[in-house]
Amino acid sequence: MSPNESLNEQTRRHFFGKSVCGIGTAALGSLLANDLTAGDSNQPLGEGAILDTFHHAPRAKQMISLFMSGGPSQMELWDDKPMLRKMNGQELPDSVRRGQRLTGMSVNQASLPLAGSSFEFSPHGTSGTMVSELLPHTAKIVDDLCVVRSVFTEAINHDPAITFFQTGSQIAGRPSLGAWLSYGLGSINEDLPTFCVMITKNQGGQPLYSRLWGSGFLPSTHQGTQLRAAAAPVLYLNNPDGISRQARREMLDALSSLHEIRARETFDSTINERVAQYELAYRMQASVPEVANLSDEPESTFELYGEAAKTPGTFAANCLMARRLIERGVRFVQLFHQGWDQHGGLPGGIRNQCANTDQASAALVTDLKQRGMLDETLVVWGGEFGRTAYSQGALTADNYGRDHHPRCFSMWLAGGGSKPGTVYGTTDDFSYNILENPVHVHDINATILHLLGIDHKRLTFRHQGRRFRLTDVEGIVVKGLLA
Amino acid sequence: MRELAACISLVSLTLLNFSSAAASEPIDFASDILPLLSDRCSLCHGPDEESRHADLRLDLEQAVDAETQNGGLERVIVPGHSASSELIRRIASDDVSEKMPPPDSNLSLTNAEVELLRRWVDEGAKWEKHWSFRDLSVPVPPPTSGSQSPLDAFVDVKLQTQKIVPAPIADARSLIRRVTLDLTGLPPTPAEVQAFWQDESPGAFDKLVDRLLASPSFGERMAVTWLDAARYADTYGYQSDVYREVWPWRDWVIRAFQENMPYDQFLTHQLAGDLIPDADLNSKLATAFNRLHRQTNEGGSVEEEFRAEYIADRVNTLGTAVLGLTLECARCHDHKYDPISQRDYYQFAAFFTNIDESGLYSHFTNYVPTPTLDLVSEDQQRRLTEAEANVSRLEAELSEFYAKAGFDEAKWLALHAESEVANYSFGDASDSISVENAIKDSAPIKFVGSPSPIAGRNGTGVELDGENGLTTTVGGDWDWYQPFTIALSIKPAQIHDRAVIWHRSKAWTDAASCGYELLLEDGCLSAALIHFWPGDAVRVVAKEPLPIQSWSHVTVSSDGSGKASGLKIYVDGLEVPTRVIRDKLRRTIRGGGANTFDVGHRFRDRGFKGGQFDELRMFSRDLPASTIAVLAKNGIEQLAETVEPTIAQTISHQETLRSELLKARQGIAAIRAEIPSIMTMREEPGLHEARLLIRGQYDRPGEMVMPIVPDWLGPADELTSNTRLDLARWLTRSESGKRHPLVARVVVNRIWQVFFGQGLVATPEDFGMQGQPPTHPLLLDHLASHFIDQDWDVKQLVRHIVTSDAYRRSSAGLTTEDPENRWFSHGPSLRLPIETIRDAALASGNLLACQVGGPPVKPYQPEGLWKEKSGSSYTRDVGKGSHRRSLYTIWKRTSPPPSMTIFDAPGREVCVAGRTTTQTPLQALVLLNDEQFVEAARGVAFRVLAESSNSASERLDRLAEILLARPTSTEENKILLSLLESQDKQLRQSPDSTQQFLTIGDFDYKGAAESLGISIDPVELAAWTVVSQTMMNLKEWVSP
Repeated sequence: MSPNESLNEQTRRHFFGKSVCGIGTAALGSLLANDLTAGDSNQPLGEGAILDTFHHAPRAKQMISLFMSGGPSQMELWDDKPMLRKMNGQELPDSVRRGQRLTGMSVNQASLPLAGSSFEFSPHGTSGTMVSELLPHTAKIVDDLCVVRSVFTEAINHDPAITFFQTGSQIAGRPSLGAWLSYGLGSINEDLPTFCVMITKNQGGQPLYSRLWGSGFLPSTHQGTQLRAAAAPVLYLNNPDGISRQARREMLDALSSLHEIRARETFDSTINERVAQYELAYRMQASVPEVANLSDEPESTFELYGEAAKTPGTFAANCLMARRLIERGVRFVQLFHQGWDQHGGLPGGIRNQCANTDQASAALVTDLKQRGMLDETLVVWGGEFGRTAYSQGALTADNYGRDHHPRCFSMWLAGGGSKPGTVYGTTDDFSYNILENPVHVHDINATILHLLGIDHKRLTFRHQGRRFRLTDVEGIVVKGLLA
Repeated sequence: MRELAACISLVSLTLLNFSSAAASEPIDFASDILPLLSDRCSLCHGPDEESRHADLRLDLEQAVDAETQNGGLERVIVPGHSASSELIRRIASDDVSEKMPPPDSNLSLTNAEVELLRRWVDEGAKWEKHWSFRDLSVPVPPPTSGSQSPLDAFVDVKLQTQKIVPAPIADARSLIRRVTLDLTGLPPTPAEVQAFWQDESPGAFDKLVDRLLASPSFGERMAVTWLDAARYADTYGYQSDVYREVWPWRDWVIRAFQENMPYDQFLTHQLAGDLIPDADLNSKLATAFNRLHRQTNEGGSVEEEFRAEYIADRVNTLGTAVLGLTLECARCHDHKYDPISQRDYYQFAAFFTNIDESGLYSHFTNYVPTPTLDLVSEDQQRRLTEAEANVSRLEAELSEFYAKAGFDEAKWLALHAESEVANYSFGDASDSISVENAIKDSAPIKFVGSPSPIAGRNGTGVELDGENGLTTTVGGDWDWYQPFTIALSIKPAQIHDRAVIWHRSKAWTDAASCGYELLLEDGCLSAALIHFWPGDAVRVVAKEPLPIQSWSHVTVSSDGSGKASGLKIYVDGLEVPTRVIRDKLRRTIRGGGANTFDVGHRFRDRGFKGGQFDELRMFSRDLPASTIAVLAKNGIEQLAETVEPTIAQTISHQETLRSELLKARQGIAAIRAEIPSIMTMREEPGLHEARLLIRGQYDRPGEMVMPIVPDWLGPADELTSNTRLDLARWLTRSESGKRHPLVARVVVNRIWQVFFGQGLVATPEDFGMQGQPPTHPLLLDHLASHFIDQDWDVKQLVRHIVTSDAYRRSSAGLTTEDPENRWFSHGPSLRLPIETIRDAALASGNLLACQVGGPPVKPYQPEGLWKEKSGSSYTRDVGKGSHRRSLYTIWKRTSPPPSMTIFDAPGREVCVAGRTTTQTPLQALVLLNDEQFVEAARGVAFRVLAESSNSASERLDRLAEILLARPTSTEENKILLSLLESQDKQLRQSPDSTQQFLTIGDFDYKGAAESLGISIDPVELAAWTVVSQTMMNLKEWVSP
């Protein structure tokens, strides 16, 4: 049975009144998140999952993506290049560039001077991984991380590159990773969305777009739900001003009674589904504010994540929210943090970016680990591409910029069956080309799906006559990233 | 949100295989076998040569016949003998190394499918063309009874075969509600319901349909169905996603439906309205259809990469929206399933390449990307014609004057010298900060970066490194109608592919080069005046390269005509012959935030690397050749010397004429500036070189291709030329035997889908081998053929569908025999599109602002959505703008209206042929809590209270009549009454809450009550609002 047929089958089962969405939503307890243990391919999938079983035993049951939008510079953070400091100011050698394309922002530059990083690196952890001074907190958890220095992508501009990362295609219209996970694995919680998205508030930078968490051609049920630092954390969540929860309850009861009459008269069992959706909406009105209300967190939490976590909408607060959502069984939480696009003024810019993200990113991993959740939660950190070895614009003693560089960049994975305390992949002395173990964006996505118990070649959706998948017709699971 | 993921409406996913191959029935190749071969075999044995294995094709009869295995002894398929057929042996094999499809392909055949193939071979392995590629048939309808239409006869035959009993015709109230919502997107008024209910005449329904088809709302309703396919949006998309004014095209669509433009014309105008005989403003406007794809202005993007993307989008949209084919699958390689070669794809693409466009729109200006159409009003056209005539007259007068005056230009040097605005000699360039202007009270020129002072042509000069340059405010803001002359000496170090000598512009591609510039291109001087490169600009390029490593005096003069003939290049005082690259400047060359004149460098462009220059002089006048010769030869001191006071009178006359001409040209510029324009297609003369792109990559052009249509699809003969118009004609032939097999089937299916929620073909976007075969192939062909016979009359087709029994049946009580209503045993009960849902709310609440067309509006939207993604702000239109029909709501691609996407509206980034329908808690939250719906419910409540002073129970009936076109049942009435009382009680205890609730949204009930001279109890209104909301959350309300 093709995925669509089975989806259809499932829909038909609904139709005939099978009680998945019945009034009262009984018999759902067995699917609660806590009952799900990783490591067994026969364990139950989430509600609404298209898969009948996991393709193999999942290592992770949930995932958090910390997406660093704009393209963080690998040479300042994870890929130390003494050669660049040594050759600072010299022209990028043709033997390194090899005629590869540049963006229109620097292709016409009269000179492409190499820029050594202003920041010091030192070995950390028992793994001795070289980490930049910009990441003092992340440096402390480096033994939990699987650092990949050899990721590469195809696109050279933000929009196509970020769309490619999220949806496996530079062209708009395809489902995002989170939508694929929702579609494939379904939901493992009762009253929160399967796929939650949070954007750091007032961060600015390269724009984001709802397609990055959209469902593409998958049913819109699978699109990411944005949680916002606003009066209504989910759009339209709050009752209209003046309408109490009690009044709303009464109204919903009346609505439900009217629906029952209609269902009886028309033999339309799909009405029950509608009633169930209204009940779920009502529950969400309580459950979402509960997640968003951090007042039950002890002071130690804020010591860990930083004071900024007390301010809703900050990256730190969103990291903390991510942990709370994961605790409550949300399948996939994706954070977007803009501002990594340092074409100019890189040293100052990236210092600021790191100051806002380093502690909370590390805290999230630490927190999950302390709670015993890291084993089953995959955390992935990274942006859409890297940055050039040469300076965009003038190179001065204390200032430089870097243009987009798709040919190599760094990411890290933690938990969820990824290999801790590792560095994977090597770039040349200029962090311009990959020397060994290249990891394509499709490979990253294939590996993510693998860790979540999915064979990326077998999670497909038939659309316009073709079986589409997140990794298009490519993607290799990178064994070197697996624990 | 477990239910959320599970509850997909039945309407959406109906991809069952309607195999008719029960053991007793003969196998139908087209519906039983071809889809199997396509789906399971074509990936390796299909049309794509590159991925074909074992040199075996299973998509063509000839190919299979010709193919042999095992040294030519065994035929792959031996008709009538499955046992001797290698195909059957391999698919039935238990040997993992032999089994086909290979077990790891995820494409394995089930036993039943293997049996089906075996039976097909045994029954003679009969091959047929894929159903949708076959010619349209004209099926004879089954015998009809009474007034039954042929449409119903086709439907009923299927029902009878399957022994399904159709539902009875729906009651009058349901019917009028259904058909009114479907045809106008608005609910019927209680009076209309009442009138129809009482009209027992036999033609009552037909009369109703005629009225609705004539309603202005019909065009608005039908337009929505095309906007998704046309990927209509009010912003460009991609990341910056700037606003663009394309709504006049949307209004064209509304008018087309409203005026019942025949579909062949509808398509022809959109594809080629610029090329039809007697093309007019409207037909040209229609071609904006091809420019509605996303466009980018992201800094650093490669222009050609995105131009290729735009062309691809046009082809994909043609495929999905018009042909029902997945053409895009053949962009990088031959199609894996359908016989569309990669060559076919690029031949389609070649129809759409021949326009003067850029792959990037402008970041620094809001000018419309070319080619554009001026949306000129009659008054503007009249004034423009007048102004142009005036300019021609003055131009003639001036040249006559020059001819008569026996004009000795050298004598005029003094006058010319007066027009000098800049004279930088660089004698004092040693401080490397700025250089004074020898012209009194005129600004200096400043150094940007650190250009080096060097020994120049005359004293000190300046050398540049490609990044640095000089900048001044003088000469930084001329428009095309202002004459000017710019002269300098330069010494290039090398032959430049491209180098900026001087310019007035903010940037190159980031500003579409808006301004004026002098470049070196392949070593030749290239001067231009540009509004938007390439389609609104003048450019002339010297035929001979400029010498390198020696000094040349280079002058550019522009005479204010804005034409190539008025833009001249001089080297060492002599005009040089030039090639005209573009001569179609129409609009301003100012703007974009640049009002400086710069030498040697430009933002993200290639500077004058290693070049030297000296002696920069500017004049606010087009100096004649004789003066320029003096300027170049004798140097600067000579200019002001020769004065001829005797010719003062002549000078005065000349100056008067020149000043009048300037004013007249300025007048033209002013009129042009007030004329809005829109992106459209405008075919360039001749053929644009089009190439196949290897692997679809913009930077890997392959063989040349011509704009021609594939010979395997439809009648390809009699194409006289190769333009978009020929393409459109090929698609819309009406002569029998020459009709395109797909176009009518696809549109008929889509319109059927509008009214039944599902097409006769369940995959409206794919009529290829991987799509679903039609449930009612004969009906589909009947409708399609009839549609063409009726001259592609859309309203007639709609009438045909909605007056059928199939459409008019009751939707209640679906049975297990036809659970998804695929056989149309019941009337449609689809969830209304969100546009209709919202419009119905506004209309029921008497809030709808009826105005057809116009710029998009910004109704209610949660705060901060645009800001958090891109920093742009959304300011709601208070009042009317919040109450327009939903198709006028501004569509921002990167942040579409959330209340609409939550209800399954697509993002409008790419062409979509149909919407899925889901049911989620987020939808419940929208209907319950969105300001828009709360406000509308108050409008409904107010209406009930204002219109009727009867008992609450009777008022509830009135409410139901407004919202559901029926009274309440006793049981319903009781429930609602009790809700009303209890809400009333609660609200009465909390005046603040009541007050808050009643001030959501703009609707001012107090003002409304005042103007009606009635008084409204706020608490009562609030309670009734809750009750109205309750009814507006019923399934019946959203799925009539």
